[in-house]
Amino acid sequence: MSLPDLPPPTGEPVAPTLAPPVPGGTDRWQRQSPRMLLVHPVRILGSFALPLVLAVLGISRGTDEDRFWVFAVVAGAVLAVVAGVVSWYVTRYRFTDEQVQLRTGLLSRRVLTAPLDRVRSVDIESSLLHRVLGLAKVKVGTGVDSTRIELDGVSREQAAELRTFLLRRGSAGQGPETPPAGYAVTPAGADPAPDGDRDEPAGAAHPAGAEQPETELARIDWGWLRYAPFSLSSLVVVAGAVGVLAQFGDDLPVDQVEVAQGAWEWVLAQALLVLVAMTLLAVVVGWVVVSTVTYVLTWWNLRVVREARGNLRITRGLLTTHSQTVERAKVRGARMGEPFLLRLVRGAELTALATGVGTGGTTKVLPPAPRAVVTDVGHELLEETGALTMALTGHGPRARRRIHVQHQWGTLFIVALLAVPTYLLDVGWVQWLPSWAPPVALVVLGALNAVVADSAWRNLGHGLTGRHLVVQTGAFVRSREVLELAGIIGWRLDQSFFQRRLGLADLRATTAAGSEVVTAPDIPLTLAVPLARRATPGMLEEFLA
Amino acid sequence: MSDTTLREPTHRVSPRAVRYWTVNSLIGGVIGWAVLFAIAWFLPEGRWWSTTLVWIFVLIMAVNVLEVVLEPMIRYRRTRWEVTEGKVFVQTGWLSRDQRIAPLSRVQTVDTHRGAIMRLYGLANITVTTASAAGAITIPCLDTHLADRVTAELARITGQTRGDAT
Repeated sequence: MSLPDLPPPTGEPVAPTLAPPVPGGTDRWQRQSPRMLLVHPVRILGSFALPLVLAVLGISRGTDEDRFWVFAVVAGAVLAVVAGVVSWYVTRYRFTDEQVQLRTGLLSRRVLTAPLDRVRSVDIESSLLHRVLGLAKVKVGTGVDSTRIELDGVSREQAAELRTFLLRRGSAGQGPETPPAGYAVTPAGADPAPDGDRDEPAGAAHPAGAEQPETELARIDWGWLRYAPFSLSSLVVVAGAVGVLAQFGDDLPVDQVEVAQGAWEWVLAQALLVLVAMTLLAVVVGWVVVSTVTYVLTWWNLRVVREARGNLRITRGLLTTHSQTVERAKVRGARMGEPFLLRLVRGAELTALATGVGTGGTTKVLPPAPRAVVTDVGHELLEETGALTMALTGHGPRARRRIHVQHQWGTLFIVALLAVPTYLLDVGWVQWLPSWAPPVALVVLGALNAVVADSAWRNLGHGLTGRHLVVQTGAFVRSREVLELAGIIGWRLDQSFFQRRLGLADLRATTAAGSEVVTAPDIPLTLAVPLARRATPGMLEEFLA
Repeated sequence: MSDTTLREPTHRVSPRAVRYWTVNSLIGGVIGWAVLFAIAWFLPEGRWWSTTLVWIFVLIMAVNVLEVVLEPMIRYRRTRWEVTEGKVFVQTGWLSRDQRIAPLSRVQTVDTHRGAIMRLYGLANITVTTASAAGAITIPCLDTHLADRVTAELARITGQTRGDAT
């Protein structure tokens, strides 16, 4: 981060704000709050609840074997509680002048460290239990490592102070802009971003004068709740629930339909219809309820805030509260996801691509919400307008041909799988396969895949704004990824055998943020190289043919 | 100078790489053949599907022989690398083509790797990693002495840049 992040040089020492907000100051090992001693046993008891109940039920039957299990379960619970206490006893953390260190382990001791001047993100998480006890878990992410240091059992006030301290320290540590030694060796003109932390043209993106009041980019609007059932993630949950219900479904006398005769047959057929209808209804209602409840639990009180120092803060959660703060320079882009169903109702989701926010490199910013809101907030996040709404350049007819061919391989495979038993084998039930099945499968699957392929091709595209690379992909889930040009740390131009014949390539911009790569698939070579050149002037020039 | 295509990097890898790749694919090939022979041995005779399977196996082996002969030669012609003062540029692949470019200012580590068979032929791989897991660049099969020189040079250049290279 550059100059605007520092207070104006008033001559006052900066030191006071740099002292860690922990009792005892630096270099002393701190324990987690003693209140964590309550958290551990409760958690463990929670996970033992089911076996305990089963054991108690066993007592009522009173056989010797069951008594043994009661004993085993109780002993296990006691052991687990002891383990919790021991873990509390041996877990300590401390702040030195340069690092935050976390020490765990009784026999094999492990020390995790994070350099303070590399802290890029701080997440504060409190489960319901934590909140009752006034505690929080602080996750510290650095730009160096994808693992984060977790300080569990910090008091809530301390957590807030820690966040301020860690992020201020992280920015301040980079100090005023003295050119690093050997900077001149890398030709300045050849690489627009010789260093990840000094790549912003000073004052270009951020207005000078730093300390502006914090601005709210977004706040939950319960009108968005209508988008909840259209999100794909809740479908997964409901599918799981239906799977569990299907286990009970086996007990229903569905398979006796064949046995039934005469009048019974008709009655049972009707019953089957009703059953199917009821199941469908249950799934739909279940889906709506589950997705709505999840939405409320996850996104309760959502606020997306640009802090005074430019850092991004996202707070949300009903039971478990989350508060995530990411340093401004480490927010490298955004992804707008539009799953099929959500697209039907003009909704979208927003995710931030960042460095040092843990594995995955992404932070959810907005729940399923109206597309207009998502693009507005996204543009605020990117500090540039247009990337999420601009028309993109398509990848042309050869890309279309390739995508169609690729999608039809699946059709051919399934039809072949169907054709072999239909025409060649006459054993068991396969001899009953009608001879019209393969051609029908060919037509139906072929048409279906053609529709999917064409949608994939229509969604495919790329673009370039002043500060961002834009790539859009996907058939069912349309996903538009926007990556800050200064965050691109290399290029890959991959061509498979067939792509070479078509003059296409997969252009990949590598980055430290998000999933660490943004891919423009099946882009014509004649577009790929100019795109990469314009995105990162100087990086490709010496290698042009 | 065309605006729309990249040229190939200037340097070829060590010519001994051809023999190394041949040996490598021979080892893989022999294991594959052994497995196929074993399966073919236990197939029942006289069934149309077992005969078909055997013919498929023969085809696979023929393709494999062709691959062992052709792949190293083509791969040698198409594998290129180049390190300039500011960047590293590598091209790999024999049927496919994979070109990777990274500015040295964004390089985090430089590793040299010599496998057992590679040492027989005096070869070494150099792997340059960046902050992106997708951005690692491997210069394969350099002459050991050259690899040492290139590694030292890369380390010198990358040592001059600071920051976390993200």
